[in-house]
Amino acid sequence: MTEVVATNQTILVVGGGISGMTAALEAAECGKDVVLVEKNPVLGGRVSQLYRYFPKMCHPVCGLEINQRRTKMNPRIRVLTMAEVTGISGQKGDYTATVKISPRYVNENCTACGECAKAAETDIDDAFNYNLGKVKAAFLPHKMAYPQRYVVAPSVVGTPEGDKIKAACKYGAIDFGMQEETLQLKAGAIVWATGWKPYDAAKIQPYGYDRFSNVITNVEFERLADPHGPTGGKILRPSDGKEAKNVAFIQCAGSRDENHLRHCSRFCCTASLKQTQYVREKFGDEAQSTVYYIDIRAIDRFEDFYAKVRADQSVKFVKSKVAKIVQDEKTGDVVLHGVDTEGYHRYANTHDLVVLAVGMDPEVQGAQVPAEVAADASGFLVSGDANGGIFGAGCATNALDVNRAVQSATASALRAIQVINKVASVEG
Amino acid sequence: MAEQKVAAYICQGCGLGDRLDTADLAKIAQKEGKIAFAKEHEFLCNADGVQLIKNDIANEAVTHVVIGACSRRAKTEAFTFEGIHVSRANLREGVIWVRPDSDEHRETTQEMAADYIRMACAEAKKVKVPEVSPERGGNKRILVVGGGMSGMTAALEASKAGYQAVIVEKSGELGGWAAKLHKRIPFNEPFQDPQETGVAEMVAAIQADSNIKVYTNAVTSKTSGAPGRFSVEISQESGPTTTEEVGAIIQATGFTTYDIAKLPELGGGKSSNVVDQAGLEALMKAANGGAIKRPSDGGEVKTVVFVQCAGQRDDTGTHLPYCSGFCCATSVKQAMYFKDANPDVDTVVLYSDLRLPGNNEDFYRNAQRKGVTFSKGKVKSVEASGNQCKVQFHDLILNDENAAIADADLVVLATGQVPNSGTNIDLFQAAEAEALSGTNPDAEAKIAELKVVSVLNLQYRQGPDMPQLKHGFTDSHFICFPYETRRTGIYAAGPVRRPMDIAQATEDATGAAMKAIQAVENAAVGRAAHPRSGDLSYPSFRKEGCTQCKRCTVECPFGAINEDENRYPQFNEERCRRCGTCMGACPVRVISFENYSIDSIGSQIKAVDMPDEFSEKPRILILACENDAYPALDMAGMNRIEYNQFVRIIPVRCLGSVNTIFITDALNSGYDGVMLMGCKHGEDYQCHFVKGSELASYRMSKVDDTLKSMNMETERVATYEVAITDIERVPKLINEYAAKIEEIGMNPFKGF
Amino acid sequence: MSEMKYHNNFLKEVEERVEEGHMVKMCMQCGVCSGSCPFGPHWAHPPQELFMMIRAGKREEVLSSDSMWMCTSCYQCIVRCPRKLPITHIMHGLAYLAKREGLAPKGQPTAEFGQMFWDNLTKDGRVNELKLSLSLYFKDGFGQGVKNAMAMQSVGMGLMKAGRLNPMEILGGHKIKDKSGFHAMLKKAREIEDARRKLA
Repeated sequence: MTEVVATNQTILVVGGGISGMTAALEAAECGKDVVLVEKNPVLGGRVSQLYRYFPKMCHPVCGLEINQRRTKMNPRIRVLTMAEVTGISGQKGDYTATVKISPRYVNENCTACGECAKAAETDIDDAFNYNLGKVKAAFLPHKMAYPQRYVVAPSVVGTPEGDKIKAACKYGAIDFGMQEETLQLKAGAIVWATGWKPYDAAKIQPYGYDRFSNVITNVEFERLADPHGPTGGKILRPSDGKEAKNVAFIQCAGSRDENHLRHCSRFCCTASLKQTQYVREKFGDEAQSTVYYIDIRAIDRFEDFYAKVRADQSVKFVKSKVAKIVQDEKTGDVVLHGVDTEGYHRYANTHDLVVLAVGMDPEVQGAQVPAEVAADASGFLVSGDANGGIFGAGCATNALDVNRAVQSATASALRAIQVINKVASVEG
Repeated sequence: MAEQKVAAYICQGCGLGDRLDTADLAKIAQKEGKIAFAKEHEFLCNADGVQLIKNDIANEAVTHVVIGACSRRAKTEAFTFEGIHVSRANLREGVIWVRPDSDEHRETTQEMAADYIRMACAEAKKVKVPEVSPERGGNKRILVVGGGMSGMTAALEASKAGYQAVIVEKSGELGGWAAKLHKRIPFNEPFQDPQETGVAEMVAAIQADSNIKVYTNAVTSKTSGAPGRFSVEISQESGPTTTEEVGAIIQATGFTTYDIAKLPELGGGKSSNVVDQAGLEALMKAANGGAIKRPSDGGEVKTVVFVQCAGQRDDTGTHLPYCSGFCCATSVKQAMYFKDANPDVDTVVLYSDLRLPGNNEDFYRNAQRKGVTFSKGKVKSVEASGNQCKVQFHDLILNDENAAIADADLVVLATGQVPNSGTNIDLFQAAEAEALSGTNPDAEAKIAELKVVSVLNLQYRQGPDMPQLKHGFTDSHFICFPYETRRTGIYAAGPVRRPMDIAQATEDATGAAMKAIQAVENAAVGRAAHPRSGDLSYPSFRKEGCTQCKRCTVECPFGAINEDENRYPQFNEERCRRCGTCMGACPVRVISFENYSIDSIGSQIKAVDMPDEFSEKPRILILACENDAYPALDMAGMNRIEYNQFVRIIPVRCLGSVNTIFITDALNSGYDGVMLMGCKHGEDYQCHFVKGSELASYRMSKVDDTLKSMNMETERVATYEVAITDIERVPKLINEYAAKIEEIGMNPFKGF
Repeated sequence: MSEMKYHNNFLKEVEERVEEGHMVKMCMQCGVCSGSCPFGPHWAHPPQELFMMIRAGKREEVLSSDSMWMCTSCYQCIVRCPRKLPITHIMHGLAYLAKREGLAPKGQPTAEFGQMFWDNLTKDGRVNELKLSLSLYFKDGFGQGVKNAMAMQSVGMGLMKAGRLNPMEILGGHKIKDKSGFHAMLKKAREIEDARRKLA
């Protein structure tokens, strides 16, 4: 049974991505007690699934390492993984949250030695790689996984394979007796940092994401470009494994569209600029990238980055919202139809691969916050103190890039501390 | 303090017991490591193993624990004991997982493990659990420089958390630019129309808040001290100079608008009917609820043209190269001023990319609904004739190069934000160097000129203001850490940090207040700030040995070290980030930390068992940055990627902490080669301590001469930039280097 | 009137006089409509460009354009438009305005057929299909008409066999009972519409 001591001077942080980790760390490093709840088996969230960051082209796991070290070193943070907040009652300064913890089937004895994975036979979808690859039914989500502890898929529980996996562990870390459990936690303030999910590209019917194998999303492209991704960092298109040297990037795939997401998702222009450089990195002078855009939103010094990409001969920009995509069944090539609106030029351009720059759907959409909270028309939580002692942080509050999400999370940590300090001053 | 007692614990789990002779390792720890005792355990990280260690700490007065098991990155929580130093010998990720499991390799694998045990014991004996610095400030007040939206927000938010704040505002009133606005860009649902700025309410809230003290017509004329004990002289235009003691500082000094007189081709400075966005706000305020009149003659305004990116996004090097981000939404707002007053006024926004992220898309839509025309076009010229202006542009959609609006009554140039960041300390340092070397007779005048514009007037060895990142903004270079600052306890917020609108500035100021509060709390208990958060160690130095060479004061990436009146370094511990760059810089090696020193690294280097030159067993030392290179090496182990058996790896806080003595010590002790692995440096640096890896590579370039004078091959010392993702590359680098060393041959100094 | 370019005069006219004309200003120039139109390659100006021309005040060019006459009401543009502009409706509205202003391109087949259809329909209150077909065939002269009719002969015969085309319609065909009432209704409707759209 998981035991967590929490009081109404504890800050509950929901979501262990970069925003949640930041909020938790900033508060804990200020001397506050924090419980960090993450629904996945590991911390890190979506940024850990990115190959590089714009505009520096540096690696997100670099910051993750620092944040994980800060977390490991700080006794004030308790981390609950595979945990979801299902209910919140009470009010500012005195909340009770119900947390459901799913069984990991691996306890704290796990040394991450990997023997269980060797014993596992079945392959399951690799969620870390957006299901572009497979992992064994006993797996470490990724190399920097924290907690550094394996996970056993529920599908093998009670099977001969499960027994084999259990037998392979010399440390008694595999525990099929684990049950789903529910905890009640006290908290004075709650930071809601559940992040975002990529907009469901299949809903953009003319782009055929659900019909054409060589139409993928920007988040999937990150995994293709990553040397630790399913293709070992080779940009290979799904239909035939051919190197995709000629790549189209379609901006506003879902965003700025009243049929889909009414807001601009902010990060996708700069993300695509970055991804053109992946193509460049892999294929040198043979690389060809075309960015189809309405407006390139490279704000502040991201403009420098845009200028750099514009100067790259391998990258072309077409001011156009692509009308439709057709994939040639024989060649696997994808043809984009549309009109370059700068002077009206009709095109039917052939590419090896299409990357849809899908936008941010707030994760709170569909997975409602289990409490009364104010959100805007897009489903983003209203930030500030409109929601009592529940404070949105990061992409749960707005479409933000990483840097701005961390800013927002830092601000939310202070808002939570304001509540906690008030509780403390009353209680002494 | 209790007597030092070191105990070692060798784990047999995860295959260590099968692959290594753990009894031999325990013996080596005890005999060669000269420690109190060593124990083996079949599964050290489980409850039983951890209890074993805890019992020894309680019953045997063990003060220093050596763990011979997995990497320091694994099982950290299990192997953390309060008040106890722990040295980790990385036998799993660093030995058995990177070496093949076969009889022929058994001997060298065991040697590797044995050396790591020796090294961990050597380290443990040379370090102390750091005791909190006695010199630390406990002041928890927050100074906010600048009383605009960012500054007011920071002060109010700090106050709400129970902290006192002091605002120093240069002008006569609080409010900054926001107070000059008619309305602001909408910041909440439904994001349709301009909203009230709320400045008056904020000013009232500040005046009513007993936690907040305000100085107007005031500047910070002198700032000295460190987090928890800053002393700030506040000079008021008329009145006495006051000194305020504060714990942390938020610089929210905002921006100045780009001077439109620099844009004569767009009519800037040529006609009173050409204004910038601030000018339009002034006209709106002056109209006092009535219609805006044409400035030149008070005539009716029927047509307004907004020129976006005026003097911005400029690639010619003449104007601002960046995008200020707020100006598209501001033009939308200002076009609405006209449309809301009179829908018959024609308003055209000429843009190259409309940049309205997030919910500002709704604001844009509403402007269109109100009849604002948006056209993608490149403005070529704005010419005044009589009381009207002719705006000529290339309409990019209609591909009309000669598009023109001939009768604009008012042209609004959307110019950018220029940060009020004070002195550019890079120029300041350069001028100082010139003055010192006498190469420039005007250097003194230049220094004086640079000092005049200073905002904080920091009494820091490295200059009077915060270091600037790019285009004059005082921003962080780190994407994951936007508040990462190179002056501990001082945080920039708002448009001085990065161009931004009010909504972002208030969020930013709240975050900066969080960091400032954290800084005073850390300072009060002697804890380091990010990235070595919580570290209680601090640099100490042996004054007698110091030659006053100033290397430490110049090289400290955080400007932590001043020079006292006798020219000795003065370590301001609360400013220190514990990277050890000073320790790496010091040529006479008088700087150290209780838990990290020349001695603690040096004795690890020397602890390695050195085979003789005929053994065909070279030794290669790797000094690896603990932030990126070491994790990459670890993950190579987790992926079971083999690398050479002759390397011995020591993690360092930063490559900047690598003193050249480590290199000479290593070569003198018989190592055949030294590899240094640090983060990327240069423009897109990755070093968590900003300059550490760059300084290291500079120092190592000097090592070449030493090597030559020793008659040694320069290849014996090699520096690499390694990213945390170089999981496959690092083993390759090691193996290539080992092959190189084999080619060059053994170190001729072996055994001397 | 180049000095009136980029003023809202024409946009306002469109708003008043064109069905759904008030939505023209909502276009953000993404071009998805232009790329989606199956007839796109045959137009001088795609919708998004027309909308920009309207905002730029290019009245003559817009109303004399053949573009809006090509619309087949497939609604692809409407379905895809991220701003939900009723583009199809606007195109037809623009065509109507152009026609009324006498600016519709001369000899534009869709425009001509539209007029024939209207004349045919309003004459007796019923569409006389045979006469409509013949007037279409013979619109470019007798010789061409005979050729057209011959080319379509088998189709015509087939329709007749199936009872879908009555050759006796040539003599007059169906009429509605109250023709004058019908014409009065049309007149009234036109008056109302003209007043509303300021087309009088």
